[in-house]
Amino acid sequence: MKQLIDISKELFESKQVGYIIGYAEDKFKRVKPFVAYSSLDTERFVFNNNSVNNLAVYLTRLPKAKEGKIGIVAKGCDIKSIIALIQENQIKRDDVIIIGVNCNSVVNQIDEQFSKENTAIKCKYCQVRTPAHYDYLVGEIKEVELPEDKNFAIMQKLDSMSAEEKWNFWEAEFEKCVKCYACRQVCPLCYCEQCIVDKSMPRWIDSSATTKGNFAWNMIRAFHLSGRCIGCNECERACPAEIPLSLLNRKMGMVAINEFNYRHGTDINQPTLIGNYNVNDKEDFIM
Amino acid sequence: MRIGVFICHCGENIGRTVDCPSVASACANFSGVVHAEDYKYMCSDPGQNLIKQAIKEKNLDAVVVGSCSPHMHEKTFRKACSDAGINPFLVEMANLREHCSWIHDDVPSATRKAIDLVRMLVEKVKFNEPLIPIRVPVTKRALVIGGGISGIQASLDIANAGYEVVLVEKEPSIGGHMSQLSETFPTLDCSQCILTPRMVEVYQHPRIKLVSYSEVENVEGFIGNFSVTIRKKARSVKDELCTGCGLCVQKCPIKKVALSDFDEGLATRPAMYVPFPQAVPNIPVIDRSVCTYFKTGKCQLCKKVCGREAIDFEQQDQLIKEDVGAIIVATGYKLYTIDKKPDESMIKGYGEYGYGKFKDVVDGLQFERIASASGPTSGEMLRPSDKTTPKKIVFIQCVGSRDESKGFSYCSKICCMYTAKHAMLYKHKVHDGEAYVFYMDIRAGGKNYDEFVRRAIEEDGVKYIRGRVSKIYEENGKLIVKGEDTLAGVRVEIDADMVVLATAMIAQNDSVKLAQTLSVSYDKYGFFNESHPKLKPVETSTGGIFLAGACNAPRDIPDSVSMASAAAAKALVLFGSDVLEREPVVAKVNEATCAGCFYCQKVCAYNAIEQKEIKDRQGNVIKVVAYVNSGLCQGCGTCNATCPSKSVELLGFKDDQIYAQINSFAEVF
Repeated sequence: MKQLIDISKELFESKQVGYIIGYAEDKFKRVKPFVAYSSLDTERFVFNNNSVNNLAVYLTRLPKAKEGKIGIVAKGCDIKSIIALIQENQIKRDDVIIIGVNCNSVVNQIDEQFSKENTAIKCKYCQVRTPAHYDYLVGEIKEVELPEDKNFAIMQKLDSMSAEEKWNFWEAEFEKCVKCYACRQVCPLCYCEQCIVDKSMPRWIDSSATTKGNFAWNMIRAFHLSGRCIGCNECERACPAEIPLSLLNRKMGMVAINEFNYRHGTDINQPTLIGNYNVNDKEDFIM
Repeated sequence: MRIGVFICHCGENIGRTVDCPSVASACANFSGVVHAEDYKYMCSDPGQNLIKQAIKEKNLDAVVVGSCSPHMHEKTFRKACSDAGINPFLVEMANLREHCSWIHDDVPSATRKAIDLVRMLVEKVKFNEPLIPIRVPVTKRALVIGGGISGIQASLDIANAGYEVVLVEKEPSIGGHMSQLSETFPTLDCSQCILTPRMVEVYQHPRIKLVSYSEVENVEGFIGNFSVTIRKKARSVKDELCTGCGLCVQKCPIKKVALSDFDEGLATRPAMYVPFPQAVPNIPVIDRSVCTYFKTGKCQLCKKVCGREAIDFEQQDQLIKEDVGAIIVATGYKLYTIDKKPDESMIKGYGEYGYGKFKDVVDGLQFERIASASGPTSGEMLRPSDKTTPKKIVFIQCVGSRDESKGFSYCSKICCMYTAKHAMLYKHKVHDGEAYVFYMDIRAGGKNYDEFVRRAIEEDGVKYIRGRVSKIYEENGKLIVKGEDTLAGVRVEIDADMVVLATAMIAQNDSVKLAQTLSVSYDKYGFFNESHPKLKPVETSTGGIFLAGACNAPRDIPDSVSMASAAAAKALVLFGSDVLEREPVVAKVNEATCAGCFYCQKVCAYNAIEQKEIKDRQGNVIKVVAYVNSGLCQGCGTCNATCPSKSVELLGFKDDQIYAQINSFAEVF
């Protein structure tokens, strides 16, 4: 922690940053996103297993720093979304200073004690516990015990289902959706100034929380994120209705990897999967 | 809104399956429709007058025509309506022919469908906005790529009409394949004698800028406004100083290392060379791959003898920019070479003919050089291996052409004629020689062409054998040609002294790359595609780019020249007006909602999307959004479909228009 605070202080004192987005504890000792605007603020920075939020979402939501760059404390997975934002022209690499953190996995349910069982599933397959891209690196890697992947079995089961069974499964899940759009608000890659669901002239997506409207919204969101989602899983964590959104996003991500060997947010200079034509792209899905 | 609906019977075409009067009466009840009628031929003069009259009498402000495809008559009806005072983009066409009557046979249901199709467009037209054509200026200057006979003809035609031309040739001299030929069919006049005056005319023309030994690197822009980058390859000779005296070529000590491309590898040339004596421009080039100075750092003999100090060993490739309004592609063809790297070729080759293995098996262009007075044998009929006169010569047609199993399925068109010419030239020079031609069919369509072939057979005694050759092998200094005569039904074996293969005409090696640079389409063989095989034979799918000669398909000289003049005429039509009018159906960005992800820029096939900075009053950049250059946009709508926040819309096909169209259809269910 001292490392993180020292680097942050130094960044403020050398006037390199306007603010730094990081994590701090509130008075109930809960870890929350926190923006430090001065070197004094940095004293409050923490990083532990409860630092679950993907702070990259604030890069496009907060106003630009008046002077200097934006500093950001980020885990390996979060850095993927920062790279994705750079790939998609939302921020410039030169405008951010990334303080990468060696991560020893994060909690699944933030209100419960961190344990092997209460570890996010994304951590099980994490290849960036030491981030692949950063300006500064802090923290140390420790041995961690990883949870069971319960979702994978569900995904396999879904794959083997008929179209009608799949429909029934998702109808039941989407039934719970209350169209609060928390999934969108928490997503670092949902940066559109006007989401298509808010477009009313004409209204392409039914805004009512009915089967039709819920399907339209959740399917459009899954399509808009396919080949783009980096798998931080914040949407599922934020969903008050506990819809297993990661099943959709993970499936789409697996298609991108298996069919096109593409992982979004791994290389700043890589052309994005969506929007770039490659003569070697598979075409066997075209009927 | 006051909408008029006009239903066309298209004679029987629509009327047979769609009950047009009842469609018209059903449409009269749609909200907003104040006039509906049907007529036998809406596109005819009286039909158009019906529309004009109704517009005036009923004070219409939008029109829906139910007739054929907009491809056929959208222009007609837009023009008629605009004559009557309605903005042409407030006219919509429901396709009741291709989309309805032609594909259905049940009258009641086809009629119902026709009503649906019209209703959808009535709903759409309510959201149409008047649009004004985009006007773009025209740069009245042409680029011609390729300095063969086609490129020369096109350049001269445009320049003589009073406009500037930039002629780019990749070889050191213009002239192309025609300069290699001996005599030309069907008149047997000397190829160089008729070509070189044209070459000189190009060189001396005040309005033609000849850029030789150069290639087109990049093309940006659009019809009327292209910006072209040309790579001027390093000649190692300063062309502005060189007088073409030829002293350096004479003194170059590297005489026998490099094979002459001009002589098709039958002769050698020095490291410092001009391809042929009549070359235009007559400026030599150093072949750096064989030059002693470039290999060892010593020699510089050419530099010592050059009185003008024109030799520049340090010369680098230069990139020059030219702004032009039209581009004529005349890059020509090459012959399929059987031996060289058959692995890279799309066809499997004709190894059984021994080309490249037996010295006396040559291709058509090599025979041209042997027969040519400027060639390696000074026009004497001598075979390459031992420089003796062949007494028996065999010509094989369709090597690679018309052979789907191992060659190309197309006919190379010129081989029948030039083989007859070759056999004739041979007989004229070797009176006691025997000439045999193996052919599949004799295709001699053209003015005086068949007469020419008959002359070869009847007057010059060339023996034509209908059949294919299966194998050629060497035995006792003779080439044994094994084939069959399918008319007589017997096997044939000829002990020839020399064999000439009429190999297929194929596209230039880099034609696909050039096609991609120019954004024009090409076929599977690498030939550039014309826009319409009958009605637009010299246009390409990209506006302002035209084709001439054998880069489009195998062509002989008369066809190439006519095509070049046609292409020049098309360019001149373009130069006839100061501004171009383009359809205003282009994409437009809603800058307020654009998030600047630039996925639209990635998918745009026409480079029409740019990045635009939005600034506040102090001049600080607030955000960067997409901006559509309406001069480049072709209105394909890909950006529209890609935009995740629906911030790009296509004028004339905006979301509210499409939405109204779909919704009105869904009402049925």
